[in-house]
Amino acid sequence: MTEEVISSGFIQTPIGEANPPPLKKKRNLPGTPDPEAEVIALSPKTLMATNRFLCEICGKGFQRDQNLQLHRRGHNLPWKLKQRTSKEVRKRVYVCPEKSCVHHHPSRALGDLTGIKKHFCRKHGEKKWKCEKCSKRYAVQSDWKAHSKTCGTREYKCDCGTIFSRRDSFITHRAFCDALAEETARVTAASNVVAANSINYHFVGASLGPGMGQHFASMFKPISTNNETPANPIRQGLSLWMGAHGLSQTQESIGNNNLQEIHHQLNPAVSSSGLVFTTDPFVSVPCSNPPPINYPLNWDFGNKPSSNSSEELTNNSSSLPLSNVAKDGGSQVISVPSLFSTQHQSHQTHSTANMSATALLQKAAQMGATTTDPSFLGSFGLKCNDSQIQDGNRYCSPYGGTATSVATALQSSVTDHLSTLNELQMYPSKRRHIQVDQDSTPTTGGGQTRDFLGVGIQSICHPSSINGWI
Amino acid sequence: MDISFFSPPEITTFFHKNPQKNDPYLDMQSTNNQPQSSHTSTSISSDSGEPCGDGKWASRLLRECATAISDKDSTKIHHLLWMLNELASPYGDCDQKLASYFLQALFCKATESGQRCYKTLASVAEKSHSFDAARKLILKFQEVSPWTTFGHVASNGAILEALDGENKLHIVDISNTLCTQWPTLLEALATRNDETPHLKLTVVITASIVKPVMKEIAQRMEKFARLMGVPFEFNLISGLSHLGGLTKENLNIQDDEAIAINCIGALRRVQVEERTAVIQMFQSFQPRIVTVVEEEADFTSSKNDFVKCFEECLRFTTLYFEMLEESFPPTSNERLMLERECSRSIVRVLACDDEIGEGDSECRERGSQWTERLREAFSPVSYSDDVVDDVKALLKRYRTGWSLQPQQADHESGIYLAWKEEPVVWASAWKP
Repeated sequence: MTEEVISSGFIQTPIGEANPPPLKKKRNLPGTPDPEAEVIALSPKTLMATNRFLCEICGKGFQRDQNLQLHRRGHNLPWKLKQRTSKEVRKRVYVCPEKSCVHHHPSRALGDLTGIKKHFCRKHGEKKWKCEKCSKRYAVQSDWKAHSKTCGTREYKCDCGTIFSRRDSFITHRAFCDALAEETARVTAASNVVAANSINYHFVGASLGPGMGQHFASMFKPISTNNETPANPIRQGLSLWMGAHGLSQTQESIGNNNLQEIHHQLNPAVSSSGLVFTTDPFVSVPCSNPPPINYPLNWDFGNKPSSNSSEELTNNSSSLPLSNVAKDGGSQVISVPSLFSTQHQSHQTHSTANMSATALLQKAAQMGATTTDPSFLGSFGLKCNDSQIQDGNRYCSPYGGTATSVATALQSSVTDHLSTLNELQMYPSKRRHIQVDQDSTPTTGGGQTRDFLGVGIQSICHPSSINGWI
Repeated sequence: MDISFFSPPEITTFFHKNPQKNDPYLDMQSTNNQPQSSHTSTSISSDSGEPCGDGKWASRLLRECATAISDKDSTKIHHLLWMLNELASPYGDCDQKLASYFLQALFCKATESGQRCYKTLASVAEKSHSFDAARKLILKFQEVSPWTTFGHVASNGAILEALDGENKLHIVDISNTLCTQWPTLLEALATRNDETPHLKLTVVITASIVKPVMKEIAQRMEKFARLMGVPFEFNLISGLSHLGGLTKENLNIQDDEAIAINCIGALRRVQVEERTAVIQMFQSFQPRIVTVVEEEADFTSSKNDFVKCFEECLRFTTLYFEMLEESFPPTSNERLMLERECSRSIVRVLACDDEIGEGDSECRERGSQWTERLREAFSPVSYSDDVVDDVKALLKRYRTGWSLQPQQADHESGIYLAWKEEPVVWASAWKP
């Protein structure tokens, strides 16, 4: 194997002179080598060769210098020949053989042979190693091994609280999740999806750079046009942010403290809601941009006039925690927005207790009357298999509005028409069995993946209240 | 033909005529036309524990009923329909469900009320099809079964590879998937390349049930694209009565765009006679790639033979229902909704044949048949190894039972998703 040793402009000392070894190994930035070092340019073939270190006695090749030395001991050499040649002392740096690469130039050489080998493989090499689970490809075996260890074990957590083990279902869920509406600016797309946990922190604005101010605003522009979408107090609340520009910074600390109070009042297990309550990011909000400043001020807004809302929070800590942002069809159950919703009379006077009623009002509007005349069915002699129907949740929104429409349709077409009968079979057996599969405090939080969209049964249909609608 | 369900009690005598035989139902055929005196008064009540040892009673009964309808044997039809009615239930096991939904279709066929029935079913479904319900349904289905995601992953892979390096992408999505295919594509566009291209997505929907939710879907997609940092434009075409009405103008196809046409379960909704024309219309748009995903069943070639069509429909639906049963948890609302959707489709296929409906023909064809049609205008594109690997990795994430049947080297007509070795979904890619 031939090595080309290039004497670059940096190197002035003649070969053979021993440099005193440095006392402490300083780690330079990658690609900014020690100017005193000797630059080595290896051909791709040489670089990828596995046995670069040859024993001069028997010609055997080894991957590492240490292995070669070990082997040489076995030859029982006289002491003189055991010494390493002084030639090896000088530090070596390596350049990438690929001409178009930035590391091809000696000024950006890499200091480690293994490093340059890996670099060459990763950037310019063929990806021979493939992960079984996700079919991601790697050129370097150690990269592949490292990935295989973590692949599939990572969990992705959406802002709404649901946890996913599969990336693709996480992405698809995210696109349609109600929590998406509350997102603030993102810096890069890649970092959002890859660093799943950091999503929570992004929201706070700790990562907001100056340039994101516009983006931040643009995220919320459509809010005012979204009034017809299912009641979303977060959105209304956020429009508050845009209006709250004039407030001074001094209120911020108050806002922070109040927020922390509230945070403790709320179930501390719920940390992964659409609005993040980890205290650290709040404290560290840089406050250099108007939009982030407004954020803590909002809490202030909500806090000032409504100490009652805080009380309401404590009173009703049992119901409707934060993570139920992605609730189908109903108003939002987030208790924190209730803080600033007191400002916003237009939407909801949300105490959590009222929220259930409001939620149920909306639900009931969707579902309509649920009574059908059982004798109507009896005359058709159809059997209804009631045993299957246990979960009251199943009769929420999917059946919204069908009850009345089917009932009227029946009146109009009184035939022994099987199709409508099939529909009807559902209704008399529509028992509102609400499974409360948690204890009395439905403090769901991120740990429980109830159903796919993180919707809890008990959160939607509060048992005591919903019976009033039947 | 006067069919009344709740027939006089003498029918019940047939059941216990020959108690020794294993299969009382078959006996009914032979004793059909002979009047019997009542032996016993007990009837098989509506109880699912049948004396018959064979579990597959539904398919047998249904097949006989279809034959009877085809033969126009009204007494037999009457009996079988009544029996099915007794035994069927949409909440029972697979057999009971099949019996229930096919009974509905057979009844409509026998009474020639298919069109009305279908319309009623469709309008009921539409009313309960809110955004949240639809989202929950489709996402849950995709979570438990690769039935739809198979086609998504294969198509996305083919599209990404075909449009790699382009700056202005225009995807024409003819499907009713509620855009669940696109988030992963958007993410790939954002992270795969250094330069994120501009994506214009034009969604053409053919099922009217989907229309009301598309507005919300559009907003979500736009928001998500913004989140991903992909320049994005969304258009919706929903008023078309049939696909033949698509033109370059109403799709807003620009000359500098790279076009991809994505058809998921779309071609089967085109009336059989119009299919060639639609494919040629696609060709006229000069797409870079056309991805087609369809369910593997043949309801078209046997249009004139009711029994044969029925058999095929029963076969495919049985597979589908069994798949649903094994994929979803036992008391799943979503599964019920999907079964109902399937039942509407069954009514459409079996009982509405001669009537032109509102566009949804639902006449499926097999992959090989579609290949013949598509070959007229396009040439097949094999999926690359990366895409095949992605699909395999996808299947691994689901329960066992799913497998990939690779593309045949000779036809090169796409890949099949197989459920217990039976091909159920076909995915392919084509270029001009």
